[in-house]
Amino acid sequence: MTIGPLLFLAPLALTALLALPIVWWVLRATPPSPKHAELPSLRLLDGVEALDETPTRTPWWILLLRLAAAALVILGLALPVYAPGAGPTEPEHGPVLVVLDDGWASAARWSELRNAASATLDGAPADTAAHLLLTAPRTLNIDPSQRLSRIELDSRIKSLDPRPWPVDRAGALARLKESGLQPGRIVWLSDGLDPDSGDPFGEALREIAPLTIYAAPPRGPAAITGLLGSASGVEVSLYRAKADSEASHFVSALTLDGSALATATADFSAGSTEAIARFDLPPAALARIARFQVTGTSNAGTVWLWDSAARSRRIGLVSGDRTAQPLLSDMHYIRRALAPFSTIHEGDLISLIEGDPDAIILTDIGQIDLEAQTALIAWIEAGGALIRFAGPRLAARGDELVPTPLRRASRAIGGALTWEDPQPLGPFPTTSPFAGLAVPDNVTIRQQVLARPGPDLARRTWARLADGSPLVTADKRGAGMLVLFHVTAGPDWSDLPYSGVFVDMLRRAIAAGKGEAAAATDGLYVPTRTLNGYGQLEPPGADAAPLQADALADLVPSQTHPPGLYQGPSGARAVNIGATQQPPAMTNWPAGARLLGDSEAQTERLGGWLLSGAALLLLIDLLVALGVAGRLRRFQPQSAAAAIVLLALTLGTTGLAEAQSSTDKATEAALGLRLAYIETGDPDIDRTMRAGLEGLSLTLFNRSSVEPDKPHAVDPETDALDVYPLIFLTLPDTPAPLSPLAISRLNAYMRSGGAIFIDTRRGGMIGATDTFEGLNTALAGLDTPPLTPVPRDHVLSRSFYLLDDFPGRYSGRRLWIEETGSAKQTERRGDGVSRLFVGDADYLAAWAIDSNRRPLFSVDGGETQREMASRFGVNLVIYVLTGNYKEDQVHIPALLDRLGEDNPAGSRRREVIP
Amino acid sequence: MMPLATLRAEADNLARQLPAALLSADAADIVHPGAAGRRRAGSGEDFWQYRRYAQTDAADQIDWRRSARGDEYFVRETELETARSVLFWADPLAGFDWSGHGDRKTKAAHAKIIMLALATLLGKAGERIGILGGHRGPSVGKSAASRLGEDLLARPTRELSAPKTRAIAVLASDFYEGVETWTARIARLTTTCDRGVLFVVTDPVEHEFPFQGRTRLHLPGTATSRLLGRAEAARDIYLSKLDDHARDLDQLTGQTGWAVVRWRTDMPPLRGAAALLRAVEQFGARTT
Repeated sequence: MTIGPLLFLAPLALTALLALPIVWWVLRATPPSPKHAELPSLRLLDGVEALDETPTRTPWWILLLRLAAAALVILGLALPVYAPGAGPTEPEHGPVLVVLDDGWASAARWSELRNAASATLDGAPADTAAHLLLTAPRTLNIDPSQRLSRIELDSRIKSLDPRPWPVDRAGALARLKESGLQPGRIVWLSDGLDPDSGDPFGEALREIAPLTIYAAPPRGPAAITGLLGSASGVEVSLYRAKADSEASHFVSALTLDGSALATATADFSAGSTEAIARFDLPPAALARIARFQVTGTSNAGTVWLWDSAARSRRIGLVSGDRTAQPLLSDMHYIRRALAPFSTIHEGDLISLIEGDPDAIILTDIGQIDLEAQTALIAWIEAGGALIRFAGPRLAARGDELVPTPLRRASRAIGGALTWEDPQPLGPFPTTSPFAGLAVPDNVTIRQQVLARPGPDLARRTWARLADGSPLVTADKRGAGMLVLFHVTAGPDWSDLPYSGVFVDMLRRAIAAGKGEAAAATDGLYVPTRTLNGYGQLEPPGADAAPLQADALADLVPSQTHPPGLYQGPSGARAVNIGATQQPPAMTNWPAGARLLGDSEAQTERLGGWLLSGAALLLLIDLLVALGVAGRLRRFQPQSAAAAIVLLALTLGTTGLAEAQSSTDKATEAALGLRLAYIETGDPDIDRTMRAGLEGLSLTLFNRSSVEPDKPHAVDPETDALDVYPLIFLTLPDTPAPLSPLAISRLNAYMRSGGAIFIDTRRGGMIGATDTFEGLNTALAGLDTPPLTPVPRDHVLSRSFYLLDDFPGRYSGRRLWIEETGSAKQTERRGDGVSRLFVGDADYLAAWAIDSNRRPLFSVDGGETQREMASRFGVNLVIYVLTGNYKEDQVHIPALLDRLGEDNPAGSRRREVIP
Repeated sequence: MMPLATLRAEADNLARQLPAALLSADAADIVHPGAAGRRRAGSGEDFWQYRRYAQTDAADQIDWRRSARGDEYFVRETELETARSVLFWADPLAGFDWSGHGDRKTKAAHAKIIMLALATLLGKAGERIGILGGHRGPSVGKSAASRLGEDLLARPTRELSAPKTRAIAVLASDFYEGVETWTARIARLTTTCDRGVLFVVTDPVEHEFPFQGRTRLHLPGTATSRLLGRAEAARDIYLSKLDDHARDLDQLTGQTGWAVVRWRTDMPPLRGAAALLRAVEQFGARTT
């Protein structure tokens, strides 16, 4: 039943509205129940009659409230649906055909399409049958003549996901015709793209039955259409279907594990469907990028997988220069230029050719022997790129394997006996692959081999000097390329190897080989990871089939060949949707079809809202009834207001308090001396550490001029560590390793003068002999200097108290400190003061006190040992704080002795206790 | 119902804070002679002391046998052996054994404690104390107070009848049963108890009438109830009725010569006990 934009799924429930007057009458006669109380003096009121002004009738507004609640319940049970567009506007006959575009372009607004599809039957008679036609082709397509009930349609649509390949509307139409279905009404839920197939499809549908169309074209960028390596990084092209207003979108460069390395913006100008996001990244970072994704989208089209073909090339290096000075060799420069983004193989020429690299680089090799030359030529013609560098040998005796004939001498410019100045680089010819690279003005060429002039020379020149003589020449041989740099790969002849443009020139020269196009004979490529409709990488499904390499180039993704990564003999290749699919938006819809706006395709089920509203009204009624009965008296308005204010303050200040705490902590620690500890995550141990440090702080406060504030728990990953002089760390029973970040920050802390005290707490275990047990697990990577047990008469036993031993909770344990004597002077840190202390006697437990300043744990040797442990704590902190001052004090007797050698009176020995 | 030990303890505690009871001299006139010595000079049979003759003494008081031994006249004094009976009664109505707040003792409990404290004092002063309308008559001595305590806790009879001997009556109740009822009761008592105290114990709730909204008020112990549509509207009427009731009580005691002591359970019990003591001590003087 439809009333205006509302339709009721259970209209019979509305008859209950007839009962409302009865409800009204009953409610009217029933006053709220009174409150009961006792009063012995009630007899005093015996004679008073006028008091009984009891409202025998419910107040009108309570009545209204309850009637409204009852009406809402009835309306809610009638299951109303707000569906402005779903109702049939004309009498219909026969079933409804739902045509759903479930190609890759639908993913952007899939939930809307799905909701609209579920809503198509709302408003139709209950026994209306539905048929479903999906336009994305599958190997096994659903037969559109299959009859679905309302519930079946709902569940079927809910289980659908967008496909990562394009729709095939012509095929879908053919299937529809084949099935012989004659629907009474057709609802086409379209992705709104590709008018080439969409326009005839819509016309054909409209001829079959009255057509309703809901189009949901992607709002933002539809696809990443390509990737172009630029001089400083890569450029990602974005495509959008609707060329409307200006828009900016972000593109993220993601690594294999999905973390973002960089983000760039792509700005669509008004009226343009193309935009470019530029990533300026060093080659090493580029090598780690696995895919690009438009941020905030989940769509197979907005992901661009970057395969190894575009990224990492295999290069063979052969050098004729066997110099003993590796840093001066030509190869060094090439290796450094190419290492970040290619795989380099070295060896003799024959074995390199057998490995079939993308490119082979030869530096200053004069003559290649015949056998190798034959193999090399065959390899080039099969698509390899041979890059040669000139040099004294090539200049003296070249061979035929050069792009252009050379003169038998090299040309030196700017030398002592030449007239000319060293030549800078000239602009790159526009036909050259180097075109677009910035020409550096500080590169000069001092010597080169000269090409013989010929008719083809200009065409073969990729780079030339300012005076026009060729610097790089290239010639196509078969499918491959032969490139010659007329200078050495090292800095002997030119400054070019110093320059950044050298790297780019090399990369482009390498790419001139077969890196760009796979050879047809490369064999099968097997899918390893495929994209699903939402742009997530998944293991390939059962339908994904391997394909030939030559089919990769212009592959239109389909169920058998979904977009993703394909592994083949020459590395992984990516199949991206955007490479082939850039469909424009549909603008011309078939005449006579009913177009639904966004809001009309939506339906809103109102039953829940109405029932909630009824519940709310009943709640108000309850409060009113309580108020009338006088039972709300204990909730005074003031206390209620106070509670609300308190709640608001609590909610409001929690965030603030959290935001402030971290900065406050560093400030606090900087303003007052504090001991710090690293939490282990074991609450018992953390409590003990805190109590131990509080005990030590108290001891220090009472006995020395060190007056520490409350200790801090620090997180080595986030907190500022430099503000603490000494950080304590204990190992839990099962230590978990600290994160690499924490370790590196702790290393930096120790290098900058901080001290770490590690208590492994292993001293109490029976048979525990290894002080360092568990330390390697927890602190793997900590920059540990050589350690030694504390020597006799070390400053640590003299810095405040005179100590013989360093007991903790357990006695007779050894304390290890940094070995200072044998280490080289340059490696000594902190003025020779040990920055690392490792013990296992559970010192913190010996120091631990509770809030009443009573010791928390028993100690092996009773109170005497506890006192000694406290004294050790004082010594430790004084030692760390005073640095080598105390050490010098310890040595004063020796110094005085030395001073006293000239002085007869100096022979008196003096004991100095620092 | 509180145990006897508690009642005794509370009452003793209260009695310790009060001065010793001393009935006024005039009050002695109305007492009947008793057997207990009062350890002071007065009318009795046992010899107490000889005292020199004073001008105010009547001539027939001179003990001639003693005076004949010397030149001076002596008066022979006997020990005072008189006592008066004070009879107590607490209202057994459920409405009296009621408290408006869970933390407070009921009105009856308070009244019994205060009355027993007073009885303890009077017992120490040698008066005869007992329950009004009980099976046991008034008694003297140390056991009298505990006996009274037992009687008080054992729910006195509802109807009051005049005691056989003359006595002072102390009636504790809230007196909500209507002045007419009480006038009749007191009239029955006055045949032997022409003096008495009405100890009016009330609960603060009865004075404040803190009810709001739609309220059904019940009379404790009965099925009687009354529904008030808006209880706060009835408050003024109730309070004026309460005032009328107090005035009626005053009028009643004015007619009979009895005294009224009012005490609310939120006041300190000491105050109630002191007021009651004063009333018992003094009303004899007032009426002469």
